[in-house]
Amino acid sequence: MLETARYEVARRVRGTAFLSVGISLYAAFIVWYFTVLEGVAVEEVFEELPPAMMEAFGIETLSTIEGFLGAQIYNFVWLLGLGLYFAYAAGGLVANDVESGRMELLLSFPIARSRLLVEKFASLLVPIVVVNAVAGGVIYLLAASIGERLDATHLVLTHVLSVPYFLVCAAIGLTFSVAVDRAAVAERGAVGVVFVLFLVESVVSGAGDYDWIRYVSPTHYYEPTPLLIDGTHDPIDAGILLVAFLGLVLLSQVLFDRRDI
Amino acid sequence: MRGDRGAAPPIETHDLTKEYGSVLANDALSFAVERGEVFGFLGPNGAGKSTTIRMLLGLIRPTSGTATVLGADVHDEPALIDAKRRVGYLPAHLGFDGEVTGADVLEYHASVKGDGRLPELLELFTPPLDRPIREYSTGNERMLGLIQAFMHDPDLVIMDEPTSGLDPLKQEEFNEFVRDERDRGTTVFFSSHVLSEVRRICDRVGIIREGRLVELESVETLLSQGGKRVRVVTADDAYAQLASLDGVVDVRRLSDGVQFIYTGEYNALLAALVEHDVREIDVSEPPLEDVFIHYYGEHEPAYADETDGTDA
Repeated sequence: MLETARYEVARRVRGTAFLSVGISLYAAFIVWYFTVLEGVAVEEVFEELPPAMMEAFGIETLSTIEGFLGAQIYNFVWLLGLGLYFAYAAGGLVANDVESGRMELLLSFPIARSRLLVEKFASLLVPIVVVNAVAGGVIYLLAASIGERLDATHLVLTHVLSVPYFLVCAAIGLTFSVAVDRAAVAERGAVGVVFVLFLVESVVSGAGDYDWIRYVSPTHYYEPTPLLIDGTHDPIDAGILLVAFLGLVLLSQVLFDRRDI
Repeated sequence: MRGDRGAAPPIETHDLTKEYGSVLANDALSFAVERGEVFGFLGPNGAGKSTTIRMLLGLIRPTSGTATVLGADVHDEPALIDAKRRVGYLPAHLGFDGEVTGADVLEYHASVKGDGRLPELLELFTPPLDRPIREYSTGNERMLGLIQAFMHDPDLVIMDEPTSGLDPLKQEEFNEFVRDERDRGTTVFFSSHVLSEVRRICDRVGIIREGRLVELESVETLLSQGGKRVRVVTADDAYAQLASLDGVVDVRRLSDGVQFIYTGEYNALLAALVEHDVREIDVSEPPLEDVFIHYYGEHEPAYADETDGTDA
């Protein structure tokens, strides 16, 4: 059991370490920058921005550490950066092996296709969990080091609730990966879709008759800034993300099962 | 484990057909591979050999017809998965991850399939296991491929163009290895477009062309049915008369005479030769390449060029 997951995880260790270190360094920079801006009326600078822009940048309040981190780290790195990264990584899961011919050997193994797919996908849980844990801890300590106390429950919630969101992004990648032959196409397709959904959600929210469109975007169901500020969230959102995730994985299973390699 | 599942042949196909749009990659293939034999699956590039192998392993679904591998129907995924525990596969393109080491790959394969014969195989084949695979030469990568195909002591090994990329010396070692495997009772099925290698190690040969099985014979029968290669040097011009004889194929005019494959009656040939001034005559076993021409037709010697063509 789990031989494939173990092998794939081993291959992800280095990338996960680099990602965690990189994000921690960026967090350190942002926390330092917050100390520089203290006393400067940052919010006035952004007051001129249209509401859609504020929404896209996740700007609520920049004068508190929570609001600043929410806008500068969570909205950019978590919602956009990591969302795109996991879509990209999952886009290559199957398509890379099909393109390199490695899939032929894998499918000659005494393993069901569905299990192979699930184990490969499961290897993505390692970066998802490790990056969250490391960055969450580092951000808490960094804030403490400048004398700001982040609410631990809110911080944990912000990270835990990002997991269903990342799972949906990765599942979008997985669907592309099993549907398309070429890895580059699957990866770009997945990144493109997640990015467009992010944009669509920011553009239509709060505006006119078409604001229902935002409900199709996974970004609508994970809003890190209010979570970090006061823990505001709707538990149903995580449920919706998990259902979407399961649906996409199921769809990928069906596509992968039926396809000729 | 060997010899169970009754008398079912290790591989058996019934009207196995695969269509890609309007292209028939495999057209109603029916054949059986017997237990403990080395079966050569011969055909030019693009004849449909890889398509058959992929259907046998469940990588692609037949359009119609069926096949069994170690008694398991290829349509029945659970049964086929069970059978795959006793199947080794060496694909034409291995596609190992470049960044992992040979040892990592073997460890993964061992955890999935088992590695009962690994120590023994590592004495025969010596790829640099602690180096990442991106540093491997083609030969080293093929060796790693062979190790993983045999490491779990399979009853049936399927190989797709196994000797491509091996130098002649390694090829000879490979041939010896395959013969030894057969003597241990392993059934070997391999595809090739290089006829000389098939002649050296195969017990039986199936010839596939444009998706159809053209011939299924033991190598001896193939050679005897293939007739003899006759080379005649005459003082006068015998080309026209000899070329028109029944059973003469693949006629080539040489600078001093004529060469052809003769599958007809010897008496008729001798009667024809009497009418000419024969200086020299040489009757020999034809190379399998020429036998092949007999089945493929002399106007399409597409098999000859190893670099030519694309695989279906």
